[in-house]
Amino acid sequence: MNHPVQACFRSSRTVVARQTFLAPLLTALAAISAVSDSASAQTAFTLPAPPFELPIGPSLSGNWTVMVGVGGEYKPDFVGANRSMLSPVPIFSIRRAGSAEQFRGPRDGASIALIDCGDFRAGPVGKFVASRKANSYSELNGLGDVGAAVELGGFVEYYPVDWFRTRGELRQGIGGHHGVVADFSADVIIPVIQRFTVSAGPRFTWESTKATSPYFGIDAVQAAAAGLPVFNAKGGAHSVGAGVQVSYRVNPQWEVHSYVEYERLLGDAAASPLVALRGSANQTTVGIGASYSFDVKIR
Amino acid sequence: MRRSSRCVSFATVVVLAVSVSACAMLETREAKLQAVKTVGIISAVGDEMSFARTGLTGLNNRSQSFPIGSWGLDDLIVQQATTALNGRFQVRPVSYQRAVFTAIKDSPVAPVNLIRGDPFKKLVQTEVSPQGLDAYIVITKAKANFGGGGRKVEGVGFITYGTLLASSNHIHALYEIRVIDGKTFDVIEKMTAQPLDNTEAVRLPGPSRLVDESFSPSTGDPARNENLHGAITDLIARSLSSTLSDMHLADVR
Repeated sequence: MNHPVQACFRSSRTVVARQTFLAPLLTALAAISAVSDSASAQTAFTLPAPPFELPIGPSLSGNWTVMVGVGGEYKPDFVGANRSMLSPVPIFSIRRAGSAEQFRGPRDGASIALIDCGDFRAGPVGKFVASRKANSYSELNGLGDVGAAVELGGFVEYYPVDWFRTRGELRQGIGGHHGVVADFSADVIIPVIQRFTVSAGPRFTWESTKATSPYFGIDAVQAAAAGLPVFNAKGGAHSVGAGVQVSYRVNPQWEVHSYVEYERLLGDAAASPLVALRGSANQTTVGIGASYSFDVKIR
Repeated sequence: MRRSSRCVSFATVVVLAVSVSACAMLETREAKLQAVKTVGIISAVGDEMSFARTGLTGLNNRSQSFPIGSWGLDDLIVQQATTALNGRFQVRPVSYQRAVFTAIKDSPVAPVNLIRGDPFKKLVQTEVSPQGLDAYIVITKAKANFGGGGRKVEGVGFITYGTLLASSNHIHALYEIRVIDGKTFDVIEKMTAQPLDNTEAVRLPGPSRLVDESFSPSTGDPARNENLHGAITDLIARSLSSTLSDMHLADVR
């Protein structure tokens, strides 16, 4: 269940760009693996103490676990598209050695739990929504670009039992859209054995009109340019779906994971001519990845 | 041209200012530790042991606690820390109400902890005698998440981790060490005890190990379980010296 940092560098231009990105990552993984080939998460490197210390907070000395990895995500070209493409997803995290990796779903925004009671967590959340360039896909010709958006807000998470997580996020868009997005999910988390975990559950997304219309609304000018009917997209229930994840820890260093997320667009998102005539309301994302962890000791 | 030269000068001043402050910070902890000659050791870790089930559990998975004060873990910690620190510092005996230190809990709201500061600073000032030593080493329970869910474990404990096909038992001794300045009562250094070099798939950010069912507190009074007592004592003994060494307080391994 590792997606600690998933900055998706989506390049819609060429496959070559993806290959040039993947190559150094894979090389780095292989190099790290070769340097630290012991069978445990024992310390691979010892670094000197940092040249300065933070005036507040705990010391940096001690053992840290660094995780690096790479994955691929096969997802629709844009929300509502009926074609998909594969994008590389880098994986990177640093945490205190032995710290538990909190369960994380592929759709979760990046979050920090400022309130952490164990079974209840809450705090700020953020999500990046990539820009949608009209000239990248023929279906979008004449619809104009939608800029990249950053969605900022809060999340709450509740575990009634250790193996069941419910989560809600409420985010306000800045940039490409200025609407409100609410994501809800529930996951049953089943450790089959210590090394192998399966999780699955339903998802639901609600979006306001300001979050829906930039992507699914078609005004008169766009309609004339794109050859689609005018459509006034309003907010409401945006999608419903389900997701499944599996993760397998091969040994203390290596872990592989995979996930499938399906969502069915609803309301005006599904009814938009862009989706109804040129795309699909069925949206499936498939992800796979491998990560390598090693310990670093700071004196 | 003149404008770019001004920019370069400004950048140089900023870099110099940052470097000077970085050097000042570098000196802070090391210089304060250099000045420490006499220390007192306070330990409040081993009054009780928690027993929790996590992973794939039934609906009732509340943790239980058992008193283990009779094991004398805190006396053992003070004794071992004294041995480890004696080469560098003069360790003086101190008296304190252990229960006052064990009663301190972090707020679940992180900003509250930041605003109120470290509560152990005030306790050292008001609850420990004698005052006037150069520093006080305070060893208290640490808290950590276990597994991917919301389970938190603290201090000394036993966890049964259930999966669909098997379950495993783990013991842990999670603690953190603070060095508190005896004059200003500032925290000079703080570190959580590190995990031992174990290779289990499920790890904790502190001393822990896998054990079999015979260690389980459910098989009888945990305080009378010699296997459990011995294993916890061993975890503490093996981790304490290395943690003190990581804090640059003792040169032992």
